[in-house]
Amino acid sequence: MTDIFKRVVQFKLKWFAKIYLWRIKPYVIVVAGTVGRHWIKEAVKESLTEKNFSVRTNKKNFNAEIGLPLSILDLPSGEGSFSNWIKILWLAMRKVFSPKLKSKPFDEFLVLEMAIDRPANMNYLLSIVKPGTVVLTAVTMIYRENFEDLDEIALEYRRLIKALPRNGLAILNFDDERIMGLARRANCRIITFGLKEGADFTAKNIQKISDGQKFEIGGLRQSVKINRFGKHHLYAALVKEIIRNNFKEHQKEFFSKLRIL
Amino acid sequence: MYKDTKFGFYLKSAKKLKMFLRTKKINLSPIKQIELLASKIPDAVSLAQGIPSFDTPAVVKKAAIKALNRGVVAKYSLTYGLPELRETIEQKLAEEGMYYDFEKEIIVVAGSIEAITASLITIISGKKNEIILFSPSYASYAEAVKVAGGKPVFVNLTEENGWQIDFKSLVGKINSKTAAILFCNPNNPTGTIFSRKDLLKIADLAEKKKFFIISDEIYKDFIYSDSNDFSGRLFSLAQIPELRKKVIRIFSLSKAYAMTGWRIGFLHSDEENVKEILKVHDSLVTCAPVISQYAAIAALDFADSEVKRFCREFQERRDLICRHLDDLSDFFSYQKPNSSYFVFLKLLPKRNSWQFALDLLEKARVAVVPGVAFGPSGESHIRISFGRSEKDINEAMRRIKEFFKHD
Repeated sequence: MTDIFKRVVQFKLKWFAKIYLWRIKPYVIVVAGTVGRHWIKEAVKESLTEKNFSVRTNKKNFNAEIGLPLSILDLPSGEGSFSNWIKILWLAMRKVFSPKLKSKPFDEFLVLEMAIDRPANMNYLLSIVKPGTVVLTAVTMIYRENFEDLDEIALEYRRLIKALPRNGLAILNFDDERIMGLARRANCRIITFGLKEGADFTAKNIQKISDGQKFEIGGLRQSVKINRFGKHHLYAALVKEIIRNNFKEHQKEFFSKLRIL
Repeated sequence: MYKDTKFGFYLKSAKKLKMFLRTKKINLSPIKQIELLASKIPDAVSLAQGIPSFDTPAVVKKAAIKALNRGVVAKYSLTYGLPELRETIEQKLAEEGMYYDFEKEIIVVAGSIEAITASLITIISGKKNEIILFSPSYASYAEAVKVAGGKPVFVNLTEENGWQIDFKSLVGKINSKTAAILFCNPNNPTGTIFSRKDLLKIADLAEKKKFFIISDEIYKDFIYSDSNDFSGRLFSLAQIPELRKKVIRIFSLSKAYAMTGWRIGFLHSDEENVKEILKVHDSLVTCAPVISQYAAIAALDFADSEVKRFCREFQERRDLICRHLDDLSDFFSYQKPNSSYFVFLKLLPKRNSWQFALDLLEKARVAVVPGVAFGPSGESHIRISFGRSEKDINEAMRRIKEFFKHD
């Protein structure tokens, strides 16, 4: 793709995605951070699906300037093919302007990973989508080549937190100092998760067993076993619990009201 | 270039000083030897080395170019590999029912042979220095064992039983010196898929006799749809959580994603094993090539449809080569492989496989690998690859037919 064509595709996809969101009005949960997004996204999806909500997430790594609108529109990538992209833009247009769009079963929740790799990336992504809930995983040295330091990366996530409405929810990793530093900027409710003492949802008495990990969720005195290994899966399990506790089934109606607002 | 006299002087000095004691026992892989010889013959057709004829998928090449232009490939990555690649690998593994922690249990390696060598160096120590290898199995295994200071111990696969494991022989070879068993599943050169039942038997032996299992699954994506003894995905012992501490699983992107030149793959095992292997990996290569790591992210994320296409094409090429081989039934017998891209041919009548390979190269200008390269039971066999293009296969088989007319 030439640069000009890429920009045209990006611009058109952005607007088609915005129109789609405006018409469907799903509740958007954004999962961001430099690492560990995938499993958190899956955990959020699982938790909401258990409550019989219809949920859609990004496919693969469709989480940046072009990938995010494709994810919202549920369309594939045109990869390097000019004709494929023309077809995709046509499909996107048909989809968003279809009179039948709202008569079909639609997504109540969109759980979207957002990835940034350069300064001001977040502003662009936020010009497409307005989240109702944000989960922040961690700020690490990945993508550092385009940023001065970790604080500059954290600044991008600050934009995301600030974009949350007053009735929104920020779910933050208590173990990450920079992320917790962002908590001060939030105008909405905050719930924290982590392994350190002090988080709202914390994993305690963690045991590695032959087929996974066992731990207790602090505060809830609830014992959990997962068949995955690694700290990031403990985080995912904690976020799953937060979603389970904060998105009750009867709130479906509440979210419909939110959409009208 | 040294003059002969000078070179002779160096050799004599080395002998006197007892130099190269370890490397003297190591041979250059016969596959590479044949390739070297073939490279000197103009218009030779090679069915020797297992190189797929396809180019790396465009999406992978683009990702590498993008990374190059972003200026992120000039520096070392973490010794474990790029975190974003390891996260992708963890996701891929989870799709296949294998759960490993990307932070501590996955190492990105410079191709599977580096992973194998690093694992062997880690495992082999003191008196526990014997590594069980199946015969026939990949030619470089035995040399890698020797590089690591170990002793290869061959256990013959039974040809009449579809090149399956002879457990009586295997049990007989296991002793207190056994450090590990190393095998390729599906097997190179026979294309055998080891059954779940047999793999569990190996696991049982490993548990009882306390040795490691190194499972090289480089051909896992090339299993053909008409395979009778296989349904669904390849079973791996790495899927069994209770065996995490025993199993080191290795995968390379070389064959599946047509990336042999990129030297990229990964290994995974329990944290306990991986942290030890990491030390060796660090001293061998520091980290896998960073540009290849970026390419690997794109391959694992976006190139699965290409892998499926390669598999379909290989199946067609297998059928093509088998049709040619059926015309040569007086000279070869073979078992149609269900996986990988090799046919392991039995020479009729029995003959020296090295000599036959050299004759074929010299007279027919076709490079094949002598069976003895794959272990003692490979003698009187040759391995031919159908990873090459249809044009190459047709031309090579035409020349082989000609060769037998005049033999």
